[in-house]
Amino acid sequence: MSNKRGRIPLKARKVSFSWDGTPLHWVPGDPFATHTMNVLHLLLPAGERWFVHVYRQVLPYIRDERLREDVIGFIGQEAMHSQAHDEVLPHLKEQGLDPTPYTAQVDWFFEKLLGDRTLPPGRARRWWLMERVALIAAIEHYTAFLGDWILNAEELDRRGADPTMLDLLRWHGAEEVEHRSVAFDLFTHLDGGYRRRVRTWATAFAALVFLFQRGTRFFMENDPTLVDGKASFRDFYVRGRRGTLPATGDLLKSVPRYLSRSYHPSQEGSTEQAAAYLATSPAALAAEAAESEGAGVPSARVEKGAV
Amino acid sequence: MPRPVTVAAVAGAAWLVKRALRRRIQVSPLWPMPALEEPVSGRPRSRALRLRVAAHETIADGVVRLRLEGRELPRWAPGAHIELVLPSGLVRQYSLCGDPEDTSSYTVAVRLVTDGRGGSREVHGLREGTQVEVRGPRNRFALVAAPSYVFVAGGIGITPVLPMLRALPEDADWRLVYAGRTRASMPFLEEIEKLGRTGVPAPERERVTVVEGRPALDALPAELPEGAAVYACGPEGLMAAVAERVPAVRVERFGARAATGVPFEVELRRTGRVLTVPADSSVLSAVRAELPGTLYSCEQGFCGTCRQRVVAGEVDHQDELLTDAERADSMLICVSRARSDRLVLDM
Repeated sequence: MSNKRGRIPLKARKVSFSWDGTPLHWVPGDPFATHTMNVLHLLLPAGERWFVHVYRQVLPYIRDERLREDVIGFIGQEAMHSQAHDEVLPHLKEQGLDPTPYTAQVDWFFEKLLGDRTLPPGRARRWWLMERVALIAAIEHYTAFLGDWILNAEELDRRGADPTMLDLLRWHGAEEVEHRSVAFDLFTHLDGGYRRRVRTWATAFAALVFLFQRGTRFFMENDPTLVDGKASFRDFYVRGRRGTLPATGDLLKSVPRYLSRSYHPSQEGSTEQAAAYLATSPAALAAEAAESEGAGVPSARVEKGAV
Repeated sequence: MPRPVTVAAVAGAAWLVKRALRRRIQVSPLWPMPALEEPVSGRPRSRALRLRVAAHETIADGVVRLRLEGRELPRWAPGAHIELVLPSGLVRQYSLCGDPEDTSSYTVAVRLVTDGRGGSREVHGLREGTQVEVRGPRNRFALVAAPSYVFVAGGIGITPVLPMLRALPEDADWRLVYAGRTRASMPFLEEIEKLGRTGVPAPERERVTVVEGRPALDALPAELPEGAAVYACGPEGLMAAVAERVPAVRVERFGARAATGVPFEVELRRTGRVLTVPADSSVLSAVRAELPGTLYSCEQGFCGTCRQRVVAGEVDHQDELLTDAERADSMLICVSRARSDRLVLDM
């Protein structure tokens, strides 16, 4: 890999978290902020599994070797993200907040509504594949936005948020920032049509807003420790100003950036900051240590490093 | 300009719709999205468990028994083993020798092998309270239904056999040859001798033969009852000696995993090629040399991108993703290897 100076090869880090010590409201005294971020655990397992599913089908269409390698790295990272968030769900259930009614719907959303359809091979099938590639590019704009936000959300540290949960979100966020260009580059490589970009952005944005507000309301209403838990846009706005959730203004400002014809994800976020976090993240370090020990998994990796 | 009546009508209609929606959502908060009948997310997977070393005691010379505590652990049947991921990252397989009904802990017994590869030394050094990662349980040494049973165990090889003896009905016809260097080095001896005596009706002859040193196995085939299931577990030499006399023996191997150091052949059925996978490289890299477009990603056995269908051959699964049902007919070629000399893949 020495011929690609200045470019970080994407690699999946096999992380593992222990949720035993994480309280239900892991942002102390702020169930709303906790549950808004908890919605990620509802959406990401199914969503990122769907990314992997779609990208596996796209690989044969890629004619650029470097991009292909990036997409391969992207798939591994997304698969790990999906599993890491999936493991939080049993923990929520143990604490009396069973997410299954909601995740079953999210599963339907990604596996059925956005899944493979019985289409004639040729144009129709390719159209649906490209539409989904474009959707992923639009969603990745927001995952990179959120990744950049969580890496800089010092207010959460100040309020004593649970360090394990913060590490999960920041490890994930940092990898999202690290691979933020891949989905958009792939979309540009395969299609890149501006009308498709706008159309899929509108769909993705509407779907994300819909799923997020619904998920937050679901958690607030079913939280066993809250009486008559409610969620409102005002709550979100207030926490955005406080810094425990993304600011509404920043979210709105990111819209015209994605729709600008000169948009490229490399203009957003900072790879250096992401790399710096990954170099200190407890989970990423543990994954690296386990990998360098070479336990059980033999030579595939040794050989990869030697090339 | 729209007339005021129109404006009022539209506003009124909008208000009615909003109220109706709000009521509908109040009645069933998850309206209107359908749900997947068998949800995928949040489903317990055969992934790693994190267990706490709750007890660590010496039960024979050089043998410690560990009790690993967790919650709602997967059930297992006699003969099953778990993979223990030690703090250093080493992965070792140990047979379960506790109570299969106990879903709050797993028990393993481990002999210290001073000139081994370091796994047992690390297990012996574990302290109570340490967290270890456990994968499994899996079973490739299951107890089959048979009219009678013959077990041959060498030393620590008694661990998968013990739960079998406990699980067999009291009137079952079984025999055990239990060999070890010295009686003091043989774990669970007392319990086993008791099990041998407490049959109903009282067994006609001694069920348990305890041997110090090498057991005499030459009489084994002649004494074998009709249709008996034979199980052997212990040092490689002992298992080879049994297999020589009783080819149908079921064995459980400890020690080196087939993963490292054994080359084998892979036949790509659809491509019509046969490749050799060297000892120090993966199936994936051998296949990629032939088929550069082969899908893969993490190369660590968790993303599932490289999954391939296995047509024939016995796979040594080393991934953490596939369920047992999926393992029956597919493998992740980035980490898993062959247990047989040749694997046939559908690619």
